[in-house]
Amino acid sequence: MNQALLVAKNLSRRKLRTSLMLVAIFIAFFLYGALECFNRAFHSSENSGAAERLVTVNRINFTMPLPVNYAGRVRQVEGVTSVSYQSWFGGYYQDQRQPLFMFAVDPVSYLEVYSGIQLPAEQRRAWLTNRSAVAVGKTTAAKYGWKVGDRVPIASNIYLRKDGAKAWEFDIAAIFSDPDDTAREGLIMMSHDYFDETVTFGRDQVNMLVFSTVSPKRNDEIAKAVDALFANSEAETSTDTAAAFNRAFVAQLGNIALIITLVVATAFAAILMIVGNTMVMAVRERTREIGVLKTLGFRGSTILSQILAESLLLALLGAVLGLGAATLAVAAAGKFIQGFGSNMNMTAGVFLGGVGWALLLGLVTGAVPAWSGMRLQIATALGRR
Amino acid sequence: MGRVISQVTAIASMNIRSIPQRLWMSLSTVVAIALVVAVLLAFLAMGNGFRQAQSSAGAEDIAIMLRDGAQTEINSAVTREQADLIEEAPGIARENGRPLVSAELYVIVDGTSRANGLRANLPLRGLALGGVALRHDVRIAEGRLFQTGTNEIVVGRSVTREFAGFDLGKTMRLGQSVWTVVGVFEDGGTVRESELWGDVGVVQSVFKRANFFQTIRARLQSPRSLPALKAYVDADPRLKFAVQSETEYFSEQAKQSSNLIQKLGWPLAIIMAIGALAGALNTMYSSVASRGTEIATLRAIGFGRIPTFAGTLAEALTLAVIGGGVGIIAATLLFQGYSASTLSANFTQVVFTFKVTPALCVSALVLALIVGLIGGIFPAFRAARQPIVGMLGDQ
Repeated sequence: MNQALLVAKNLSRRKLRTSLMLVAIFIAFFLYGALECFNRAFHSSENSGAAERLVTVNRINFTMPLPVNYAGRVRQVEGVTSVSYQSWFGGYYQDQRQPLFMFAVDPVSYLEVYSGIQLPAEQRRAWLTNRSAVAVGKTTAAKYGWKVGDRVPIASNIYLRKDGAKAWEFDIAAIFSDPDDTAREGLIMMSHDYFDETVTFGRDQVNMLVFSTVSPKRNDEIAKAVDALFANSEAETSTDTAAAFNRAFVAQLGNIALIITLVVATAFAAILMIVGNTMVMAVRERTREIGVLKTLGFRGSTILSQILAESLLLALLGAVLGLGAATLAVAAAGKFIQGFGSNMNMTAGVFLGGVGWALLLGLVTGAVPAWSGMRLQIATALGRR
Repeated sequence: MGRVISQVTAIASMNIRSIPQRLWMSLSTVVAIALVVAVLLAFLAMGNGFRQAQSSAGAEDIAIMLRDGAQTEINSAVTREQADLIEEAPGIARENGRPLVSAELYVIVDGTSRANGLRANLPLRGLALGGVALRHDVRIAEGRLFQTGTNEIVVGRSVTREFAGFDLGKTMRLGQSVWTVVGVFEDGGTVRESELWGDVGVVQSVFKRANFFQTIRARLQSPRSLPALKAYVDADPRLKFAVQSETEYFSEQAKQSSNLIQKLGWPLAIIMAIGALAGALNTMYSSVASRGTEIATLRAIGFGRIPTFAGTLAEALTLAVIGGGVGIIAATLLFQGYSASTLSANFTQVVFTFKVTPALCVSALVLALIVGLIGGIFPAFRAARQPIVGMLGDQ
């Protein structure tokens, strides 16, 4: 009988107990996987090239407008490569309570600044030439079942149409993806010219300028130059990296990372107690057997490694099942979530992190029984009932 | 029947008193259940506190008018002409012949969070002193009210707690102008306490919104006057307003702003409870196994199956109640009154405190008992069906 078989036999001798422990471990790793994926997606807008872009908003607050001609003036600043701008549209489709993440933008410069956006050449052309067209990120398109060529009515809860109609009719000219910044795939972009043409107020004003520079190293200096340009003007500005801006915005929603860390830590604390104590009990039951094995010449270190192998196997099995279920759940849940976090998916980092925690769990829960198994004296072992 | 009851009591008390013999296994179940209960309560207390901050802010006899379709104050727009028309409306209370109507401007300015040092959206409300008087429950806790025509502001208590630089006497730049905090107001911890208030005329001129407002509030003669006001607004094509009572408005706001995290409490707790259940079953099966000889002995000397069953179940429920109690106490100590803030439907920060209530504790305890019940019932069946002879002969 080889070692592996002995470990397997030990685990399967009380199938119910092993299954119960597996369920507990499974749950903890399922929660870890699902919540950690959500957390990463939630904070993803702080990464992925955002450190290289700069964002200029009104110094009072980013909801306050800036004159659209600021874009031209920022373009003159030394070191700035391309400048785009955007205004929050407050759009919704059918259900007023489900806001669309929709902006009015200048399409040509937008695609320059967000160079990671991918769309077929003919769709790109269609969007750039048709003023009443929108480009839709692929997650939002999938969510509403929109296809290129569809015409959709979108209303705004901020802006009114000059002609008195309730909604704008937009042609979907393009569906884009942005593999490096999947959060962007939840957005919708309309043309700012068309916006200016149709709204009753808010013309020639933008919420935000976004621009790229020659080098991230010069961003601090360029940001200061831009703000200096508009100091003491009617609309003073505040310029920062897109990453810093997004971090502040996401932090406004609440300390999600802390909440998730606490919940996951709680789940892990619970299984540590359950599995740890059960392993101690399981090994104590086998005291006589360990005595027999030692009588037969098994060394203490062999007993130690057998028990550790048992706890590691248990932890890894539960963890892989839990992480697998989390992968499926995360893929399914992404469709139901609005906005932040909707781009979640299982990443190698989260999965491997889980496997790492499982190894630690296995070692910790196995340590005490393995140690006492190794140190067990034959006489004591055979004497104990 | 009496004998069954006395047998149940005897076995139950014996099982419970022997829990210390199975200390570590029992403890693991208690801890697991306590953690589930604490997580559930923390989420429920957060959602409850957030909801209360908004829903308790409204008054039945105050009507609020927003541009039709705006839903939130920040998206709404009201002109001077419209505000004047509302002053003539029926159903509105008057004092010394003047209608109690308040046209207000609502702009978003930056504050700095004390927790993370990052910029956050705070609402600056421009209103007249009459508008302050409309809000019954607000009282100035420190300093005084702002004076008309000055760059003075009063700030809500929650703002001073969560955001830096708004303490009494401090000055700050908001827009093109420097403002002084002359007072701090309280309103029982509602969403109002998350606002900054200044004179409407000054806010309009500093933020270049002359003759422009976001909302109109009006004191009604009684809550029953609302339909009359609505009819007046509907009849006038110049007034494209949605009219509702403040109570309705704030409860709708609470519904809209409750985000994913707040809805996560129950699903998360139920998933965690399944893990704790696995632990409880494990503990109880091992308890039954370790008491095998004892159970068989009791059965041999005349104890019935029902008492054996009930005794095991009682042990599981006891562990669940202890776990539930520990979880409730821990959650209350840790989270009761904990202050936090999040972005509301108005796109500004709402400061709220976690509120653990007896009703929430009861639902958390019910979850603990369900875990105890299911975790005890199957092992209890096994205990009751254990063959007497086999168990005694086994040794």
